[in-house]
Amino acid sequence: MNEYKILFTGTMGAGKTTAIGSVSEAAPIVTDVANTDLSLGKERTTVGLDFGLLTLASGDRIRLFGTPGQQRFDFLWKILAKSAIGLIILVDNSRSDPLADLVVYLDGFAEDLSVLPCAIGIGRLDTHPVPTLEDYIDILANRNQLVPIMSVDVRRREDVVLLIDTLLAQLEANTFGA
Amino acid sequence: MDNTIRLPENVLAFARLELQKIADELEGIKVVVLATEDGFDIVSAVRDGSDPSRIAAMASSISAISTVVSEEANLGDSKNVIINTVSGFAVMQSIIRNDARLVLNAIANEKAVLAHVIYRTSHFANSLLTL
Repeated sequence: MNEYKILFTGTMGAGKTTAIGSVSEAAPIVTDVANTDLSLGKERTTVGLDFGLLTLASGDRIRLFGTPGQQRFDFLWKILAKSAIGLIILVDNSRSDPLADLVVYLDGFAEDLSVLPCAIGIGRLDTHPVPTLEDYIDILANRNQLVPIMSVDVRRREDVVLLIDTLLAQLEANTFGA
Repeated sequence: MDNTIRLPENVLAFARLELQKIADELEGIKVVVLATEDGFDIVSAVRDGSDPSRIAAMASSISAISTVVSEEANLGDSKNVIINTVSGFAVMQSIIRNDARLVLNAIANEKAVLAHVIYRTSHFANSLLTL
């Protein structure tokens, strides 16, 4: 049995804690506290890390880690990315500038993305259809980055599993990195 | 940033005065920061050019992780966290008021005495609970 680590990151409210909770077979470890930032309409926010476990059909186990979303916690991003086999970036399409949000994480994890596979999940596309997936693809193309990107509802286990499968498929096919 | 934490003015005044006293009176103190539980600095006394906002965020993360560890181990509420290093230490003291959950973070170099800093930060925390 092998054990792997996958890291979930993305904006506050994009659903990192929810995504890990959707697929974790054990009660996830969360470090949420009351959010005091009025500019963000959310009651609680992750300030440390999220952690969950998922066993694949092969028997391999995946340790799922989530980062805090806000940039003031970027010191944790690099720590949590250590030894990860892949990165999942979640974007909330209902925010004011979700394309810029994505760039924050592409830049923040640039070093890791040059050597690790990545999958990007865009949330709330059904209620906020703009920007479109094509707009995100253009952003990635302009950066010469080829990363699978899909619409997700992280409350749905199958959507989160699809993101993880997309990462693992890239690893198997060795189609990732700069 | 517009913050929902609205500490009473007498509490803020007390915090400003006491943090400055801690920074001035204890040898080796580099910075003392009172922050919200989610990592925003409220009051600070800086002696070495440290960025209080950065320290507030780090203290928030460490405090939250220590809370999870103490819960997992059935150790009750986490009161403080100490990071002891070869050239100093950091003390993070939880302060749970009725109107706000706060973290006090004191960072000191090797000239500081850990017991003195713990005493002063604990005393400050207890005082803040009574105001």
